[in-house]
Amino acid sequence: MIRIHPACLTAALLAARLAAAESAPVANEQFTVEELGKAGPHWAYVVDVAWNNEIDARVRVLDGDSFRELGQVDAGFSPAVALSPDGHTLAVSTTYWSRGGHGDRNDVVEFNDTRTLTATAEVLLPGKRAMVPPATTSLGYSADGRLLYVPFLTPAASLAVIDPVAHKLLSEIDTTGCVLVIPHGPNRVSSICDNGRLMTLAIDAKGQEASRTLSDPFFDAETDPVFVQGVPSPTGMLFLSFLGQVHEIDLRGAQPAFAAAWSLVPAADRGKWRPGGTQVGALHSARHRLYVPMHQGGEGSHKEGGTELWVFDTQSHRRVARWPLAPLKLAAVTSVQVTQDEHPLLFAATADGAVAILDATTGRLRHVARNMGQTPWQIIIP
Amino acid sequence: MSFLDRLAEKSSRSLAARTSRRGFLGALGGALTGSLLLPLLPVMRGQAAMAAEPPAKGKPAIPAKVDDPESCEYWKYCAIDGALCACCGGTSHSCPPGTAQSPITWIGTCHNPHDGRDYMVSYNDCCGKTSCGNCSCNRNEREKPIYRLARNNDINWCMANADSNYHCSVSVVLGVAGQ
Repeated sequence: MIRIHPACLTAALLAARLAAAESAPVANEQFTVEELGKAGPHWAYVVDVAWNNEIDARVRVLDGDSFRELGQVDAGFSPAVALSPDGHTLAVSTTYWSRGGHGDRNDVVEFNDTRTLTATAEVLLPGKRAMVPPATTSLGYSADGRLLYVPFLTPAASLAVIDPVAHKLLSEIDTTGCVLVIPHGPNRVSSICDNGRLMTLAIDAKGQEASRTLSDPFFDAETDPVFVQGVPSPTGMLFLSFLGQVHEIDLRGAQPAFAAAWSLVPAADRGKWRPGGTQVGALHSARHRLYVPMHQGGEGSHKEGGTELWVFDTQSHRRVARWPLAPLKLAAVTSVQVTQDEHPLLFAATADGAVAILDATTGRLRHVARNMGQTPWQIIIP
Repeated sequence: MSFLDRLAEKSSRSLAARTSRRGFLGALGGALTGSLLLPLLPVMRGQAAMAAEPPAKGKPAIPAKVDDPESCEYWKYCAIDGALCACCGGTSHSCPPGTAQSPITWIGTCHNPHDGRDYMVSYNDCCGKTSCGNCSCNRNEREKPIYRLARNNDINWCMANADSNYHCSVSVVLGVAGQ
């Protein structure tokens, strides 16, 4: 046992009192809840499907400049997420069960205020929601933000038309086997059919089907199918194929218009290098730069992440950069997204659940966020 | 629930028990394609895409994991996507206690390296509890995106169950392909 002389103890206490008297005390604090301001140019919504406990998916808000997580939105089971055109609302289409992992099924679209990150309204759905990985085609707003489309699959295919302002389910429309939703304009939505066609619905003022048309096939679903993770562009959407063909679709007119496909892969590497992952492309519109995670693999490797990021000029169709990821000590990249400002950041989610933040003009790694959950399969930019 | 929904929910197993294999495939194809315009008999296309290769003399030894139901490399799992039920209290072809079988599914073809045959397998999900999370396995031979539903492993195949939560996945041998 250590013995302390009483005189020493007295001296120590006196010294502590003197030191405390020299500095101001810590001010009293207010216990509050943070609110977010206007979204920064380098923010990202990271959708974690929480693969190992799927009823607990969430969307994390990440600041690519401070590298801080700014907050979270709960997202239930196998969610689809879409940001309203004005950026004020994050819609989450999801499923809950009344007893957690079991019980009554509740399909719902929750509308979250992007300032408070709270669900402020909801629309209940019939138990038909397509339980698929999150993608741009698994939930979508019309261009004017007045309609929201939700794909159903039971496995009969249909889609729901929702009024996201009045928070009402307006209609359910049978899509004759065509799936997912590609909104365009204020009142049109297309779905992808198994024979490589787009089925396009025009929606009337009451949210009902006004007309439907079927396009010619724009890809071969058997030999070279397209990923369903469409890449939005100023004129429509890009779809990448398993073998690396780029199908650009102009959605400005009444009917989709298809440009001639071009290839990401040089002829010598065709079938050897492929795109792959859960979000396989990101486009910086003003700079005409397309970012794609690429890997070496064969048939059946379409969900493998990229060991390299390839960067393309979408005007010349030329590859302008090739960034290997091993020197950056990154696992395979499964999802990419790019900010749209003049000094863009590239967000790259990896197979081990991290989100890397790179300078999108140079490929320089700025940060690796390691706390982005288990399976960040989709990244959305405000 | 629509007629097509109810039709699709009918158990593929009970159909198989009542009909010949070809009839079963036709019925299943009909159930899945009636409302979906999916290609008829996707299995047959899968076979066409992959001809069986006879075992070659002097072929390297088959790794043990190819016969391990708790390994993603198990030969029957060639296009499975999910937690392996064999690691969750079930087996490669049975659900863990307290879960429910998905009555609808998708069908593929896997190559057995031991006998050189291609086998028709159904990838079923076990449903009604939250995800098991063990032995996550994602193989995608001849897998196609969701617009080819009968060849897709991304969708939650528990979607038509009363308790539609996803727990784990199995691969059930239905027979030798092409017979």
